[in-house]
Amino acid sequence: MDTLLHGFVTATARLGLDYRFLLDDYERVPFVQGLGVSIEIIVSTMTASAIAGLVLLLALRGRNRLVSGLARGFIEVTRNTPTLVQLYCAFLVLNMLITQWLHARGFDNPFKPFFWVVLVLSLHKAAFHAEALRAGFDALPSQTLEGAASLGFSRATRFWRIELPLALRAALPALVNNMVELVKASAVASAIAVGDVTYQSIMIWTQRDNVLALMLLILAFFGVLTWLVTLAGRWLERRYRIPGYGY
Amino acid sequence: MAIDSTSAASKLAGMRLPPGIYAVVGIVAVGTALWSLAPETGSRGETLARLVEWAPALAHGFAMNLLISIGAIFIGTLIGLLAGALAMSKSFAGRLARLWIVAFRNAPWLVLIYFTTYVFPFEIHIFGTSVPFPDWLKVMLGLALPASANIAEVFRGAVASIPSAQWEAAASLAFSRWQILLKIVVPQCVRRMLPPWMNVYAIITMGTALSSLVGIHDLLDTAQIASSTVARSSFTVLTYVATLVIFFAYCYPISWLTRTFEKRLRTA
Repeated sequence: MDTLLHGFVTATARLGLDYRFLLDDYERVPFVQGLGVSIEIIVSTMTASAIAGLVLLLALRGRNRLVSGLARGFIEVTRNTPTLVQLYCAFLVLNMLITQWLHARGFDNPFKPFFWVVLVLSLHKAAFHAEALRAGFDALPSQTLEGAASLGFSRATRFWRIELPLALRAALPALVNNMVELVKASAVASAIAVGDVTYQSIMIWTQRDNVLALMLLILAFFGVLTWLVTLAGRWLERRYRIPGYGY
Repeated sequence: MAIDSTSAASKLAGMRLPPGIYAVVGIVAVGTALWSLAPETGSRGETLARLVEWAPALAHGFAMNLLISIGAIFIGTLIGLLAGALAMSKSFAGRLARLWIVAFRNAPWLVLIYFTTYVFPFEIHIFGTSVPFPDWLKVMLGLALPASANIAEVFRGAVASIPSAQWEAAASLAFSRWQILLKIVVPQCVRRMLPPWMNVYAIITMGTALSSLVGIHDLLDTAQIASSTVARSSFTVLTYVATLVIFFAYCYPISWLTRTFEKRLRTA
């Protein structure tokens, strides 16, 4: 392993890329941990955003006008403001207020930057998921809906057993695209000093001034992740294909 | 065309209030609630006066966001149209263009901005004279890269929506491939490309907020400076909510117009 690493460092040094930090435990270990933290952020955000997206969709399609109006407004705000500003509003404003409130009562703030990143990114992507699912519901053939209603299924059964499975399939390409965007967006975590791969890289390149080398490494990392998500998406699309639709 | 625009105008006039109005009411309500909850060291009126004091600085910051977004979309459109046109060919250049599109569509924007900011030199030497290469120009280029990849896809999609029979018909009239593309297909594409192009522009504008991370004095950076200078919780709430509202006020009308154009295209 060590010789392999040495070989890699000397080989890339000939190309003018400085990967010497890989030989230094004080820098390699945080970097590898950063890779892990990035993956943790991405996986937890994917899960949380899927759940939040479904909740938003239920709110959008619900019969309560106030709830659906609030959901609509939330989606518009989320889609039309920068993620970084949302993150700052949550971390620098909400988190600050919570900390001050708890401190006045002698408690510590249990919410860490990691939590806020996952929360903000999940809610941000949930808005996009809800929009994709809504488009899926709009694309449902009316004959199917009428058929289901005429068979006497209740509103809830129609939603969970007929409409949602079909809408999910129709929305799948858009949902996979959202997940790819999510992987890319996770880099903003570095803005509030969550120790993700981008943050650890910044720490290393301020010491060593090897921006290009690290940048290529990060881009390769995100490239592999987005590729994996795309692969998983294609597999899901094949697995849950509606016979007689598409190619 | 004249009939088209008057009917559009009447359609616009007869439309219900866009949902964004409720969104603005929501932000202001939540913002006010947070503001009233925030601990206050002085008087609330004084805090508001501070915000008014800082307003010109915030406006100046937002002008930087606009400058970067407009430059990025301009450069991105030029490169994107070229890459999109090349990507349709089977040549080596076409393969390079497709690689360009895939690479910059899958790279995190923040990483691209860091890339252009730190890798490009701070000044360029041309014929003995050194021309400064300011950071905002680097960020502009950093955002132009993903913009170009997205616009190339928009262009490809628009060209793909033109019936291929037109290509064959034009080819039988002895037009060359480039002539067909430029004189027959592209003029029809412009209308179809407008909504997704505006969408890309709105996303780029939101992306300019990332420039605060590389030390550009944009709106978000100015808000941070303001909140740490004044150092009052209630003022911090106000500045960040104001930042959110400013971005929303700029991006929401664009996305609303985009949807209106899309609806018009679908019915046309």
